[in-house]
Amino acid sequence: MPRTTKVESPSCPPFRALTTDVLGLVKVIETRGEQSGAAAKVVERWGDPDSSKSVVSASILDREKDPLLGVARKSGLIDVISVINGDLRHSIPNVCQDGTRPEDDPIVGLHLFKKQRSESSTRSCTSLTCTTKGYVRIESFEESKSPADSIRDPSPTSWNVCGSGNILCSNVEENENYALFGGKGVEVNVWDLQKCTKIWTAKSPPRNSLDIFTPMWFTSTTFLSKDDHRKFVAGTSCHQVRLYDISAQRRPVMSFDFRETPIKAVVEDLDGHTVYIGNGSGDLASVDIRAGKLLGCFIGKCSGSIRSLARHPELPIIASCGLDSYLRIWDIHSRQLLSAVFLKQHLTNVVFDSHFRTQDAAGSAPEPLDVNEVPCQDEDDEAMTTKRKKTSKGHGDSRSKKKKSRKTSKED
Amino acid sequence: MATEQPKPATEDPKIDLFEDNDEFEEFILDDGFLADCLTLNIEREFSMNLDLDSITDEFYAVIILGSATEDSRQEKMKHNDTLLPSTVKNKERRSAILVKLKHQKKVEKRKNAKVREADEKRALELGEELPLKKIPRTIENTREIDDTICKPDDEELFAGNDADEFSSILKQDFTPKILITTSRFNSTRGPAFITDLLSVIPNAHYYKRGTYDLKKIVEYAKNKDFTSLIVVHTNRREPDALLIIGLPDGPTAHFKLSRLVLRKDLKNHGNPTSHEPELVLTNFSTRLGHRVGRMIQSLFPQVPNFRGRRVVTFHNQRDFIFFRHHRYIFETKESKQAESKGKNSKDGKEAKSKEKVIARLQECGPRFTMKLISLQHGTFDTKGGEYEWVHKPEMDTSRRRFFL
Repeated sequence: MPRTTKVESPSCPPFRALTTDVLGLVKVIETRGEQSGAAAKVVERWGDPDSSKSVVSASILDREKDPLLGVARKSGLIDVISVINGDLRHSIPNVCQDGTRPEDDPIVGLHLFKKQRSESSTRSCTSLTCTTKGYVRIESFEESKSPADSIRDPSPTSWNVCGSGNILCSNVEENENYALFGGKGVEVNVWDLQKCTKIWTAKSPPRNSLDIFTPMWFTSTTFLSKDDHRKFVAGTSCHQVRLYDISAQRRPVMSFDFRETPIKAVVEDLDGHTVYIGNGSGDLASVDIRAGKLLGCFIGKCSGSIRSLARHPELPIIASCGLDSYLRIWDIHSRQLLSAVFLKQHLTNVVFDSHFRTQDAAGSAPEPLDVNEVPCQDEDDEAMTTKRKKTSKGHGDSRSKKKKSRKTSKED
Repeated sequence: MATEQPKPATEDPKIDLFEDNDEFEEFILDDGFLADCLTLNIEREFSMNLDLDSITDEFYAVIILGSATEDSRQEKMKHNDTLLPSTVKNKERRSAILVKLKHQKKVEKRKNAKVREADEKRALELGEELPLKKIPRTIENTREIDDTICKPDDEELFAGNDADEFSSILKQDFTPKILITTSRFNSTRGPAFITDLLSVIPNAHYYKRGTYDLKKIVEYAKNKDFTSLIVVHTNRREPDALLIIGLPDGPTAHFKLSRLVLRKDLKNHGNPTSHEPELVLTNFSTRLGHRVGRMIQSLFPQVPNFRGRRVVTFHNQRDFIFFRHHRYIFETKESKQAESKGKNSKDGKEAKSKEKVIARLQECGPRFTMKLISLQHGTFDTKGGEYEWVHKPEMDTSRRRFFL
């Protein structure tokens, strides 16, 4: 029976989220949370409304120092902007295959690598882009005086993922060794990024008794946990959520049907067995994928298709955005709506900036931001950590362990 | 202190009643079961957090006086002057009370209205300013505040408008060309409705449905350069739903049709001409309403012929869109008010005839009401498509919440 009494949900904790929309705008939504009843509101808006710059995919480099947001636009342009103040760091014009126009082969997925591939210590970042026709490119670029003149890697790694069909979803797993691609007419593939080889392809489940052949149509994917690249969850256009295990078999290990519209967004929870799914008619639900059981739906007047979900790495909140132009923040455990912000356009992506800290005094809030703009030196690290209210040293340490310089192993 | 006070107050009536009314005493003291029930009732009310004083008073009152409910009702009556009809259990008496109450209210209302009118007349005659008219409270007045209402200075709105699917038609790059078809089974009133629609919307063509899939029809229409596709869906021999699909990749709006009155059923209807009509779209205030309004606007030509004196109205009220089609004509009317009062003219007012220009309307064409059920992004694809807006019952949280 549905809940008849109102569950007391905690008030919205302070968070900072960035959303992108079809007019190419990046909006920053914050809530301080200190004052009781502080509603989430848009604090900044970066970019000019221009539909040719509509954002297709976004990826955040969520780190303490200099967090960056990579934004892939419909025109084939990739912009890397700073999360703190919206400065454009890099602007890569065309990442498509030479000879094709960006309109014919739009970008589908973008991922900014946390670890540097090259030995250079200057500010550079590496990105993986995937287009609809399956052209994947890993490229690194370094910062130069003006964003438009970013020095590009002369020989980026690129290969084709699929022969026919359209790629609709791509993910890179946490350790950035493996990547996952799937789409319409394209079975889910897992590729090894160092060697650029396909290590695994899925097989469709056995045909039903009517022997009808429906082509594979994956609309969203995610890796299930941070440490294990072998398990991942894929959502199909036929409203099915499937769990695949590379080490077990090529057919899906567990399959779950949810309502009637395509599963447009999937995101995993930190505990490794819960996933949150959003579908084309705005229903958001949490599913225990080990058992294939629906844990519950998030009810909150969401009337448009959910395009993107994001789970906060620390707080128990989840953000959903979609075609009804609202950004909604939900509490994971009680499944209640914490806040909703109207953002006027169809939204395409949402990401959390988890290193947002609220300060007691109003004046000290911009201080961490100023410190970040100073070029990184060791003194600044200490200065920043002392100014942060919550000690995130533990978090920062685990990340610094991962930042080992990797050997250049692009060539086979 | 608080506990001591009620006791002396209730000591006295207790003693009095025992002395005066033997019957009450018998009634209570013998019937321990009733006393237990009454204590249980009091305990239950106590657990509902009533304040202590009233409970202790009522407790003693109940046990001693012996008729709990009537007394509490009498106490209530002491507090309120009117008797709440819902507390009377007897249906006949209750309905009698209600009739009286209604009559009272009606009489009061008429009295107030008369007083108001008299005030206004007096103010008019004396040349004073009219007393302020009170604004009635309506559901539209008390509509819930919506974040999605379009503001007039929103540059994102304008940019969004430029970017949406209808902008090319609305900027007159293309002329609208509409394809009308039906669901597979057409009904009694369906064909008549379609002929009426063909006369309302200029440049509309009707094709029989046959057995084509709707997705295939969308493809064929795109090949033939249509800008919109309208599907009239019938259910139980009545046109029931309207699907408006923008082409090439426009949104799909699914409306529910109701209260359809065909032209031949209208009294004194007019016959529409073929001039381009004027379009009147009122009250589409939210972003969603704006989008739906633009979609409807893209069905009609953007250059109306004002000399044709033909107007098509889509009026949105409470999420229902009312469609009307009129022909109008301007006439000059002489208001003869001064002449009729000629003999009673006061203050030496000249008898002058004022000429007013009024527009007279004649309804032609069908009349119907639409309600948006869902707006889908992209052309018709119920299974693989994603919805921009779909009505869900959980969204009806209040009677004052509207989406268009």
